[in-house]
Amino acid sequence: MEADGKQGQEGSPELSLRPLDLSDIDDFMVWATDDKVSRFCTWDTYTSKEAGIDYIKNIVIPHPWFKAICLDNKAIGAISVSANNGNDRCRGELGYALASKYWGKGIVTRAVKMVASTIFNEWPHLERLEALVDVENGGSQRVLEKVGFHREGVLRKFCILKGRCRDMVIYSLLSTDPQP
Amino acid sequence: MQQKVALPSVDLLLELGVLLVRVTLRPFRVSDVDDFMLWAGDEQVTRTIRWKTITSKKEALTFIKEVCIPHLFCRSICIDDRSIGFVLVIRWSGGDRHKADIGYGVASKYWGQGIATKAVKMVISEVFKDFPDLLRLQAFTVVENIASQRVLEKAGFTREGLLRKYTFLKGQLKDSVIYSLSSTDSNGAVDDEV
Repeated sequence: MEADGKQGQEGSPELSLRPLDLSDIDDFMVWATDDKVSRFCTWDTYTSKEAGIDYIKNIVIPHPWFKAICLDNKAIGAISVSANNGNDRCRGELGYALASKYWGKGIVTRAVKMVASTIFNEWPHLERLEALVDVENGGSQRVLEKVGFHREGVLRKFCILKGRCRDMVIYSLLSTDPQP
Repeated sequence: MQQKVALPSVDLLLELGVLLVRVTLRPFRVSDVDDFMLWAGDEQVTRTIRWKTITSKKEALTFIKEVCIPHLFCRSICIDDRSIGFVLVIRWSGGDRHKADIGYGVASKYWGQGIATKAVKMVISEVFKDFPDLLRLQAFTVVENIASQRVLEKAGFTREGLLRKYTFLKGQLKDSVIYSLSSTDSNGAVDDEV
């Protein structure tokens, strides 16, 4: 399943989302080994290609919704939506990471808009796409606000990240919210 | 001339809120089954909690034996040692074990007397002491459950936000309000009533 690449202004590269696979391992390692990228993520910076291969094989490939963010079909980051069961099946959690070289160009904002415009059609049972962002991660908060997510509050001492207990801002986008 | 003084009726004591001093928490017992059925079989009570409404003594016994008694932290709220409700704490596991959820329910006959608030305050003291690595106690209420929100606010919880279309409760999609009490908040919130 691929989301069609969107062209920005004339001359900007084609952005697309497609499944991440083992052939992307070297590109994956570019952002996975970068402390700047892993800083606000639940995962620790990768230190070996084997660990990267294991992650793609065991987590990415079986994942219900995990895509590479690609520029001209080269993976420069990843974006995913997790699924829940039972009473929580109405919610999916959004996560993303982008190689730091590409920060500040609006790429993640475009990728999140692409996810928001397809996920509710692909998962008709999904009512709510939510995201949890560290209170200090202003860049990621701005991405979600630009896409139209609602900032619902700050959940205190919600997550342990890198051994520290963090306050997290919770955002949501509903299937009934205006499409970004 | 001496006058006989009548002892206050239970109804009068109820009105005076005197029952609060007789509210205790203890583990459930199989012998609570009849009292349990009075409130766990009441749709008014079960409408806003995840427990299924109990419809028979057999179901009640099974629930007490298989859920309430083995639970890590499930207490009967009692007046004069008779069960009139429950309060429980569910700890998360693994990387989230610094968090726990609190839930509670009280027989409708005893609503409006501060009993749930009292029970929650008693649990707060105990749970942060028993689980020293607990950093966050949280609670979810459906948006229309104002009474439950007042319980949490009176017990010292902070309202953090309204989570839209957050969860299904008894088959209906609900907006939920999330509250939390952190380990550092609770240092002042010790229950000082005997």
